[in-house]
Amino acid sequence: MATNDVPVTMPDLGDVSEARVVQWLCSVGARVSEGDDLLEVETEKTTFVIPSPEDGTLRRVAAPEGTRVQEGTLLAELERA
Amino acid sequence: MIAHVDLGTADYAETLALQRRLHAKRCADEIGDVLLSVEHPPVLTLGRSGSREHVLVPPATLRAHGIEIHEIERGGNITYHGPGQLVMYPILDLRDYGKDVHRFVWTLEEAILRALESCGIDAIRRTGYPGVWVGERKIASLGVYVKRWVSYHGIAVNVAANPEHLKLIRPCGLPVEMVSVNELRPGPIDLDTVRAPLISALSALWKTEIEPADREEWI
Repeated sequence: MATNDVPVTMPDLGDVSEARVVQWLCSVGARVSEGDDLLEVETEKTTFVIPSPEDGTLRRVAAPEGTRVQEGTLLAELERA
Repeated sequence: MIAHVDLGTADYAETLALQRRLHAKRCADEIGDVLLSVEHPPVLTLGRSGSREHVLVPPATLRAHGIEIHEIERGGNITYHGPGQLVMYPILDLRDYGKDVHRFVWTLEEAILRALESCGIDAIRRTGYPGVWVGERKIASLGVYVKRWVSYHGIAVNVAANPEHLKLIRPCGLPVEMVSVNELRPGPIDLDTVRAPLISALSALWKTEIEPADREEWI
């Protein structure tokens, strides 16, 4: 990652072992603001929306739809605005 | 405190729109936590992991019964809602309830188990299959959406559902049958027989009062 890149990682959802990426809500190259919806993951019959941690541009999706992810898993990289 | 709003019988799409409005207001801290209680006309809903292959009758049969399919954002697969089923939608800021998706789902299941126990029904959890079961048969389903740590969608307990309607789908995409409370215990039953102990259980588990609220102020 370049120094201006920000990793987006799987947040702590509580006592949850893993989740599955079900849908990306924005595309690579899209500009996003802090708090914008980035993607949905599903665990235990719950869809959980993960927001963008900062303003920036979505540079790379590291966990495409269907990927199983755990807390701390790299989901994407943002280029800081 | 959680406000309990009993919507009575209400259309699925209108209730979903209401949930989305209340979710946005809860996220903006314009309202407090609210628990909607509702009975829907017959409808099928497909969650994010849903598939129409689990509908067991042709589309023409659904149309003949006036049953629509709604594709929605909650977790899970396919679910039936209809008369005789108690549906509850908690719109809660989960940061005030442990900020834990697993605990939230566990609590919903636990409240259903306790409510059914008070009706004399010995229901269980099945590892890996969220929901509540009586033996191999499913008696309650759940599917939740959490955005900005505020929940909506929720639970559905079969109290006295139409047994023919329960055969329209493979619930959650599983090769299992569904069952209602009234098939398992003698005597008349209505939604309140399950709703009252369910609300008491949720109140105890969430350690907060759940107070009836005026429907007109919330819709």
